[in-house]
Amino acid sequence: MLQMFSVWLHGTTLSWAVAGGVPWIWPLCETLHFMGLALVVGIVGVFDLRMLGMAKGLPIGPLQRLMPWAIFGFTINLVTGFLFFAGDPFQYIHNVAFAFKLIFIGLAGVNAILFYVTGLYRRVDSVGAGHDVPLAAKVVAATSLFLWIGVMYWGRMLPFIGNAF
Amino acid sequence: MSFLLSVENSAFGTWVRESKSLWAYPTILFLHTVGLGFLVGLNAAIDLRILGFARKVPLAPMESFYKIMWAAFWVNALSGTALLIADATTKLLNPVFYIKMSFVALAVINMVAIRRRVFGRPSLDDIAGFARALAITSLIFWGGAITAGRLMAYFGPVSGAPGLENSIPSR
Repeated sequence: MLQMFSVWLHGTTLSWAVAGGVPWIWPLCETLHFMGLALVVGIVGVFDLRMLGMAKGLPIGPLQRLMPWAIFGFTINLVTGFLFFAGDPFQYIHNVAFAFKLIFIGLAGVNAILFYVTGLYRRVDSVGAGHDVPLAAKVVAATSLFLWIGVMYWGRMLPFIGNAF
Repeated sequence: MSFLLSVENSAFGTWVRESKSLWAYPTILFLHTVGLGFLVGLNAAIDLRILGFARKVPLAPMESFYKIMWAAFWVNALSGTALLIADATTKLLNPVFYIKMSFVALAVINMVAIRRRVFGRPSLDDIAGFARALAITSLIFWGGAITAGRLMAYFGPVSGAPGLENSIPSR
């Protein structure tokens, strides 16, 4: 299934273009991928670090207004990441580091969803300047930081533990 | 050139470049990426707030993040030095490397300027045009540093761990 999809994808014009058919698409996407990474880590980092007790003068509710920038960064990385995959699917589908990277992104997503659906989000939203968040929120924040650093780890290990490039 | 070669072929340079251990080149490169994420990302968060996003967030407490930003800066200065030693001949002869260093220098000066001139203001939340200008130049300088850093692999001599082409895949 994945193999068939990859064979099909590899035959598309998009794949040809990304993989050097149109020069500079690949390096441009890499550059954007790093900028997206910085936005996700920076904005999510501000939120997580505050929940962990840093910069306690920040009320948590208004910080949510920065979240669209993290989502913007993540979207950039989803698109550029898909383009890398399209350019050369076979260096990813049998790559253990790539599998772990996707798992960690998925876990970060589950962590965020749990934060919202368990109602923890509402309890944290009203936490004002100088106050601590509940312990459960600190666990979510620490997990989030661990998982996003993990995503960077597996991404960097693509050529070293896996077989990409 | 012979000096650069001796740096590159020092025991440390050779270990970073050629060791099969994940603790050598791969881990150092990973640390450089994490440092980038926190240094540029936290700078960007402060810049965006100065530019008027999430206006209800008080700016002053964000100064605490400078601790993390400086820690990330030093992680990257050290990991970057290790990567530079491992590939001294290629990187130091690559003009893009000097462009990257210029952007990093400007971005760090900009980061200090924001702390002194923006966070140092008594009425912090009454942001002046000057502060916005600093926020915009900060985003430009960090973006330039990231771009030049990535393009080092494409302009000039190709470097990196042996067997890593770091170039546009060919078909």
